[in-house]
Amino acid sequence: MNYLSKTILLCAGMALAACSNPDRFADGSGGAGGMYNGAGAGMAGSAQDPASPVYFQQTVGDRVLFAVDQSTLSSEAQATLNGQAQWLMTNSDYSAVIEGHADEQGTREYNLALGARRANSVHEYLVSRGVAGNRLKVVSYGKERPIELCADEACYSKNRRAVTVISAVPSS
Amino acid sequence: MNTGQIISGAGHLALIGWALFGGAFQSEPLPFQVTEVTAISAEEFAALSNAPNNPEAVANVDTPEPPAEGEGVPEVSATEDVTPDTSQPEASETPPADSVPEPQEPPAPLPEAEVSDAPPVLTPPQEDVTALVPEISPRPQPRPAPRVAPEPVAPPEPDVEIDEVEQRETTPDAEAAETVEEDTRETAREEATTEIVTEAEENDLASAAPTRSPRPRTRPEAPAPTPAAEAAEDAREPSEPETDENAVNNALAEALGQGQPATGGTDQGAPSGPPMTAGEKDALRVAVQNCWNVGSLSSEALRTTVVVGVTMSEDSRPVVSSIEMLSASGGSGSAAKQAFEAARRAIIRCGSSGFNLPKEKYDHWRDIEMTFNPERMRIK
Amino acid sequence: MMRYVMTLLAALMLWTHPAAAQNGPLRLELTEGVIEPLPFAVPEFVSDDSAGAELGRRIAEVVAADLTGTGLFREIPQDAFISRVTSFSSPVQFADWKAINAQALVTGAVTMDSSGKLVVRFRLYDVFAGQELGDGLQLVGTQDGWRRIAHKVADQVYSRITGEAPYFDSRVVFVSESGPKDQRAKRLAIMDYDGANVSYLTGSSSIVLAPRFSPNGDRILYTSYESGFPRIYVMDVGSAQRRALEQQEGSMSFAPRFAPDGRTVVYSMTRGGNTDLYSMDINSGAGTRLTTAPSIETAPSFSPDGSRIVFESDRSGNQQLYVMPAGGGEAQRISFGQGRYGTPVWSPRGDLIAFTKQSKGRFHIGVMRVDGSEERLLTASFLEEGPTWSPNGRVIMFTRETQGAQGSASLYSVDITGRNLREVPTGTGASDPSWSPLQD
Repeated sequence: MNYLSKTILLCAGMALAACSNPDRFADGSGGAGGMYNGAGAGMAGSAQDPASPVYFQQTVGDRVLFAVDQSTLSSEAQATLNGQAQWLMTNSDYSAVIEGHADEQGTREYNLALGARRANSVHEYLVSRGVAGNRLKVVSYGKERPIELCADEACYSKNRRAVTVISAVPSS
Repeated sequence: MNTGQIISGAGHLALIGWALFGGAFQSEPLPFQVTEVTAISAEEFAALSNAPNNPEAVANVDTPEPPAEGEGVPEVSATEDVTPDTSQPEASETPPADSVPEPQEPPAPLPEAEVSDAPPVLTPPQEDVTALVPEISPRPQPRPAPRVAPEPVAPPEPDVEIDEVEQRETTPDAEAAETVEEDTRETAREEATTEIVTEAEENDLASAAPTRSPRPRTRPEAPAPTPAAEAAEDAREPSEPETDENAVNNALAEALGQGQPATGGTDQGAPSGPPMTAGEKDALRVAVQNCWNVGSLSSEALRTTVVVGVTMSEDSRPVVSSIEMLSASGGSGSAAKQAFEAARRAIIRCGSSGFNLPKEKYDHWRDIEMTFNPERMRIK
Repeated sequence: MMRYVMTLLAALMLWTHPAAAQNGPLRLELTEGVIEPLPFAVPEFVSDDSAGAELGRRIAEVVAADLTGTGLFREIPQDAFISRVTSFSSPVQFADWKAINAQALVTGAVTMDSSGKLVVRFRLYDVFAGQELGDGLQLVGTQDGWRRIAHKVADQVYSRITGEAPYFDSRVVFVSESGPKDQRAKRLAIMDYDGANVSYLTGSSSIVLAPRFSPNGDRILYTSYESGFPRIYVMDVGSAQRRALEQQEGSMSFAPRFAPDGRTVVYSMTRGGNTDLYSMDINSGAGTRLTTAPSIETAPSFSPDGSRIVFESDRSGNQQLYVMPAGGGEAQRISFGQGRYGTPVWSPRGDLIAFTKQSKGRFHIGVMRVDGSEERLLTASFLEEGPTWSPNGRVIMFTRETQGAQGSASLYSVDITGRNLREVPTGTGASDPSWSPLQD
C-alpha cells in the first residue's frame, strides 16, 4: 500500500466517523460534501502536503476545546491556534469558517449564543495573530452537531469545541 | 342551518390553508372549507332536528327525566357507590408505590409550601434536594391519573367516620381544643391527601428527600381517627359563615348547662328530636366531599366558592329540583356556574343512595346550605 | 361580657322563636373535594346512512380522545353502555347512564346537506342533574374536515364542563427529526394538536430550529441554516412561501418570536460573539436594539398585552430569567432558584411564565408567576426544554430528548398542575413545538 491509498482510506474512514467534518449535514447522508470541505473526496491535497487543508486539519489541528460554559482559550488551545494562524498566513489563498459548538447540556438558544462566543474567541485570536479578518467567518451550531454521542463528560468535552474549517473558495 | 343562524348568532370558521403533504415549497392550500358553526337555542334546535323525522318536541327530552330521577335512584345507587370506591383504592395505592419507602414520607416533599405561603425565596432550598435525585430513566408513559382525595385509603373511610361519630360524643371539649385543632386538622388532611405529585416531585420522592422543606405544622401522625383530629374537625366545622350560629349555640349550650357543642337547636320544645351531633354533620360533609370532584374545574372555577341550598327528602336523599346556587364569590358568573354544577353533581351522586341521616332529626337537616370552598384544592 | 350577651340573645331567641332556631338550614362548609377524571360517555354519533355512520363513529372517537387526553375526563367504554342512542332526538334515558356512572353524556348526529357538506349536531347532558349543559350546537364543514369538527365538539364539551377556554381545535408546528444525533436531519412540520395530519413545510437539506406561530396562526417564524449561517425566516402557513428577514452582514440571528400585534418580531442577534435582543418591524425591516450587555440575551417572549418581554440572560454569571419593557430598558430578574433558567414563555393568560430549568444535571419544565414567585417544576428528565402553551394556557407542550447515541427527541404535554404527562404521537422524532392559537 502506498501512501496515497492509505491517505484515501484514512480520509474515508474519518468521513464515515464524522470526526473530521462534523458540520456536514447535507441530506443527512454520509457526511462528505457541502460548501466547505473538511475531508473526503472534495478535499484538495494530502496530509503530506503542508499546504493542503488535510494537513491543516490533521497536523496543525483544526479544533480547540472549551470548559463547560466557557469561551476562554486554554494555553493548549492557544498553541493550536498559533499553528492555525501560521498556516493561514502561509496559505493565503484559503479562507476559513470557524464553527462554534456546545455540548447538549444546555438549552438550544443559549447554546447557539455560547457556540458563537467560542467561535468568536478563535476568530479574535487568529486576527490578533495576523490573519486578516475578512478571510474568516464565524458560525455557531450550538448543540446541533455533536461529534460524540454519549451522555458523559468524556463526550461532552469533545463537543464543546470550535473548529476551523478551511475553505478552498477564496474569501468573499 | 338558516334558522340556526338567526337565533344565537353564528360563528364563522375562517378558511384555513392547509399545507399539502410533501409540499415543502410548492404546497397549495388544502381546502379546509368554511366551517359554519351555528349556535342555536335548545328549542330551536329541537324543532330543527325533530322537524323531519320526529314529531316530538324538546319537551320530550326533559319530560321522561324527572320520573327517572326518583325511580332510578335506588337501584342505581348501589352500582354507583361501588364504582367510585373501586377506583379509589387503586388510585391511592399508586402514589405511595412511587414513593416507596415510608408511607409517611410522601406528604412531606409536597411542594405545597410553594403555592401560597412560600415566597419565592423558599424555592431554592428545595432545589438542592431535588438535585440529589438519582437519575431515573425517563418514563414515557403517563402516570395513571390518580384520584386525589382527602383520604388516601378508600375502604377505611366509612369506618373512620363512624369512629369519629362515636368518639366525638365523648369529647365535648371542643372549645378547649379549638385553637390547637386548626393546625392538627390540617395536618391530618395533609398527611392523608394524595396530592398531585408532579414528575419533578416524584423523583424527589424516589430519592431520599428528607430535608425537603416540610411545613412546620406537619405531624407524623397518620390520618387515623384520633379523637384529637376528629375533635379538630369538629371545632373547625362551624367555620366563618357560621360563627354567629356557633357562638349562639355555644352560648346556648352554656345557658342550658350542657356541654354539648351541638348546633341547630336544643331539645327544648323541639318536636324534631335531638340536634345533629357534630359527628353526624361531619359524616354528611365527608359524604358529599367524597363526590365533590374538582378535578375537571378551570383554574378560575377553583377560585370560586359557591353556597348551594338543597332540600332533603325524608329518606335523606336530596331533592334534585331543589338544588340551587344561593351565592358565589371569587370568580366570574360562568366560573360560578361550573363550580355550582360540580357541587350539584356531588350532592346528587353521593346522595342518590341517601345520606343515612337520623330520621328523628329530620327537621334539622331538611334544608341544608353547603358552602363549597375549593380554596385548598387549587392546583395541587 | 360578649358571651353573656350572646347567651341572653340566644335564650331570647329560644323563647320567642323556637321554630326558627331549629328549622334554619343546616350549614356545612366543604373544603376537601376529590380530584379525579370525570366519567363521560360519547356514544357513536347517529346517522341515517352508512357513510355518515362511519364518520359518526370516528367523530365520537376523536371527541372521546380529546377529552380523555386532558386527564380531566375518563371515557366509559361503549360496551358498558346499557342503552343505545339510536335517535338524536329521542329522550335520553338518564337512569341508564347513571347506572354506569356516566356523569356527562354527549350525543350527536351526522348528516350530509344537499351540497355535500358535513352537518354535525350534538348535545351535552349532565346526567345526574338530568339537564342539558348549554344548548345543542350544529357545526357544518367539509367531510375532509371531520376531525376539526370533532375537535370543535370536544372543545364545547370541555369548556362547558370545566369552564376553561377551549384548545383542541389547534395545531402545532414543530421540527421533525430523523437520523443519528450527529447528523440529524431536521425539517419543519405542522400537525393537529393531537399529532394527527402531519405535513411538512420544508425539506431536510438545512437545519431548521424553533418555529414560532404568529398570533393568529397564519405565519411561522423560524431559524434556518439555509444560507450556511443561522438566519430568521418567515413562512406563510397556507402557501409555505418563505422569505428571510433582514439581517446585518456577518451576524447570526435566531430565537425569533412574534409580538401580539403580529408585526413586530423580537429575536436574538449575534455580532462579534455577543448576543443581544433586537426587535424588528417584519414588514419594513426596521430594527431596534433592546439590550446592550456583553452577556448572552436570548429566548425572548412577549407578555400577551405586548407591554413586556421575558428573556434569559447570563449577565449574573449564569442563565436566569428577566423581564423588561417591550421597548427595552431596565430588566428585572425574576428567577432566583438554584440552577439555570432558560426559554421563558409567557402564558396566553398572562399570569404564568413557563421555563426550562437545569439543576444538578437534570432538566425540568416549570412554571412561575410573572414576578417569579410560586415556582413549580412539573417534569424532570435527562434533557427537556422549549415549553409552549396551549391556546387556553392550561397545557404545556415541550421537547424531551433521551440520552446517548440512540437518543431521540419527542414531544410531551403536561397539564399546568403537573398531572397528565403524556407523549404526543408524531411518527418521527420531534422537537421545538409551537402551539397555534385556537383556530377560527
